Amino acid sequence: MILARHAEALLWTGRYLERAETTSRCLNYAANSITHLRGDEARAEGELMVRTLGLQEELEAVGPLESQPQLVAFLLSDTDNPGSVVSAVIAVRENLRSVRDRIPIELWEEANGLYLRFPFLGHANVAPAGLHEVLLMVRRACLAISGVLNEGMRRDEGHAFVVVGRMLERSIFTVGLLEASHSDARGVMDATRMLRLTSSLQAYHRQHGNAPDPDGVVRYLLHAPDLPRSVLSCLSRAEEGLTGLGVNAAPLDRARRKAALLRARLELGEVEEAMTSAPVATLQDFAAQLAGLASDVHAGIVPPLAMATVQAQYVRPGHADEPAHEGEPGHAGERAQ
Amino acid sequence: MVDPVPETRSGLLDRYQPVGAFDEAFDDDGSVRDTYSRIVERFRELDVDEIKRLEKLVADEFRRQGITFTVYSEDEGTERIWPMDLFPRLIAAAEWEELARGLSQRVAAMNCFLADLYNGGGQAIADGVLPRWLVMSSQGFERNAMGIAVPHSAHCNVAGIDVVRDADGRYRVLEDNLRSPSGISYVVENRAAMAKACSWLFYDHAVQPTEQYGQMLRSTLESMAPGGEDDPHIVVLTPGIFNSAYFEHAFLARSMGVELVEGRDLVVDGHSVYTRTIEGLVKVDVIYRRIDDDFLDPVAFRPDSTLGVPGLLSALRAGTVAVCNALGNGVVDDKGVYPYVPELIRYYLGSEPIIDNVTTYMMWDPDQRREALDRLDELVAKPVGESGGYGVLIGPHATEQQLDEARATIEAEPRDWIVQELVQLSTLPSVADDRLEPRHLDLRPFVLTGERTQVFPGGLTRVAMRRGSLIVNSSQGGGSKDTWVLAPEAP
Repeated sequence: MILARHAEALLWTGRYLERAETTSRCLNYAANSITHLRGDEARAEGELMVRTLGLQEELEAVGPLESQPQLVAFLLSDTDNPGSVVSAVIAVRENLRSVRDRIPIELWEEANGLYLRFPFLGHANVAPAGLHEVLLMVRRACLAISGVLNEGMRRDEGHAFVVVGRMLERSIFTVGLLEASHSDARGVMDATRMLRLTSSLQAYHRQHGNAPDPDGVVRYLLHAPDLPRSVLSCLSRAEEGLTGLGVNAAPLDRARRKAALLRARLELGEVEEAMTSAPVATLQDFAAQLAGLASDVHAGIVPPLAMATVQAQYVRPGHADEPAHEGEPGHAGERAQ
Repeated sequence: MVDPVPETRSGLLDRYQPVGAFDEAFDDDGSVRDTYSRIVERFRELDVDEIKRLEKLVADEFRRQGITFTVYSEDEGTERIWPMDLFPRLIAAAEWEELARGLSQRVAAMNCFLADLYNGGGQAIADGVLPRWLVMSSQGFERNAMGIAVPHSAHCNVAGIDVVRDADGRYRVLEDNLRSPSGISYVVENRAAMAKACSWLFYDHAVQPTEQYGQMLRSTLESMAPGGEDDPHIVVLTPGIFNSAYFEHAFLARSMGVELVEGRDLVVDGHSVYTRTIEGLVKVDVIYRRIDDDFLDPVAFRPDSTLGVPGLLSALRAGTVAVCNALGNGVVDDKGVYPYVPELIRYYLGSEPIIDNVTTYMMWDPDQRREALDRLDELVAKPVGESGGYGVLIGPHATEQQLDEARATIEAEPRDWIVQELVQLSTLPSVADDRLEPRHLDLRPFVLTGERTQVFPGGLTRVAMRRGSLIVNSSQGGGSKDTWVLAPEAP
């Protein structure tokens, strides 16, 4: 049995680990492509990348992107942007730190090691020539962490939650990428771009030849059962993770059913059919359902019964509006002895 | 693969000069004591570059693993890498045996006192061993603990007793920590780091291991389960990741194979404590808490605490859960009670203390106060309710103004202070730039008590990193050393 708080921390570990790796890959692509583009085209590519990553709201707080260094700062080192690489790395470390007692030591060391490399890498120090190295370092570290997760962690509930978190994040990204690509203001769907941003170019070439057409790539990224970043593959693994949690985790039933339903919609071709007439609306609808699935997983982690018990018994007189427990920095509590 | 034994000779110890205190490695005439003969020889084979390389190796290891502690400034904490000096502290088998007997004796007497105070009617007070007003006025005395049954009368399951060696090399108790003594994780990690960086140092010695602490603690806590539960559900309760000792809390949970919980993970229902899991509520039998009494239960103690568990006291009273260490141990941590511990040993155990206290003047006694304040520039003044070295005034290092202020403060609130003879803490060679120099140190051994008492071999050696300094607390710039308890020689 896993503590609800631990389950939540591990779920977010999975999500942020995936985010760190995805954003690094996207930033690397954006940085490379922008060097070949000029003016409005470069700006459009930057904006498309932000939309692909679902960071429009975060960007609004910063203002429009005027230059490549701004894009790099926003996606790499802006700690106010929860989608930046550094924010994701910090979140992975903090979440793992809060479950340090139940994860393999090597997993903690890898995550801590990645985090420790960043205090020395403020945006100002990342010259364009060094950006690729930094991003490569992050991606390699993420792969190392994945390796420890796969090979060093017991297949218990904690492992299942990390997998579920990663698969949710990944499927949300892939659908976001397809939706952003369909609605690119330049009116061109770049098939190679979609494949590169999902690390799927090589796999696609081997299966379908080296002249990718946009529609074929969209189908591939939605349906390919053997492609780790296809939406179908992600949903299957998320469903498998949720199912593996056992029959006792009843509050997660709703999420389990929703994952199965979304998978079935893909397998039965419903999504593909709907996309023929309204691709953007279909993808937007699917993205909303994925977000709903993520909410159901979160809701299922904290059993409503336990929450009700806490609130019914322990709300203090005169403080009916305050939750009984709110996170508080714990520097009090245990005196130095 | 083993590390090659360095062969360089550099004279790291050539200019080693004892500083007027008992040096544990060198005799007064400069000759090496037997226990240290081989380790000194090994260090004489090292040069500065090698020492620096090894120091970096250890620091990198601690950094990689996130073995840190937090130092708090005005309103924020800074995470620092745990500092460890490479020259280990060695304790010979016979010396340790005697020390361990003394520690067991002291903790046994303090447990007797706590059981007597909270569950036995206070016989020691009635018999005049120590004054009632002193106990009742202690900040650590907890009325809510009265009458709560404690299995085996083991109120203090984990004690950290700070001991020092005086100018004659005799061990003396400086301070008792019976609430949430910290430091054991660093003992184990120091050993692991030494074994990785300096494995060749161990070749000549049979050193008692340290990695069994988790098992020892778990068996102690298991024996505390209410009703003698066979496979009790044990948790470690932490204030959270921002607490200075969070690394240790996670270490303890991991090494025992139990869950590390925060207050928000626990809920009391029907006078029982449960963890909140994804499968619902699961009953808890034993809580090893690393949260002070005040924060444990907002219903009974500080209402603003969000770190504890509402209703925990009701569960304790119902006897459905054990909280370790027990509620109210702070009364013995009170430095005002410390001078009476030798008498408690005589009273409860009928034996003479094996380890003496440091000579202490009780400021609430007018005669003792007058004598101590006259000589305050030679003595050490300590606030009774503080720990971690905070608020301590070391007379010989204080200015006239500081001494005057301290005298006035003590005169105003004599109950809040004790004054002790200054103990020139013993020294050991420690790395200081390009050589080894004597640095003062103390020792915090850990005593575990449940159904039976066990003394963990060794303890946390804390060392002052600055020349002449007597402040060993890590929060105030102190460091640590790996502590080797040597196995008995084969017959």
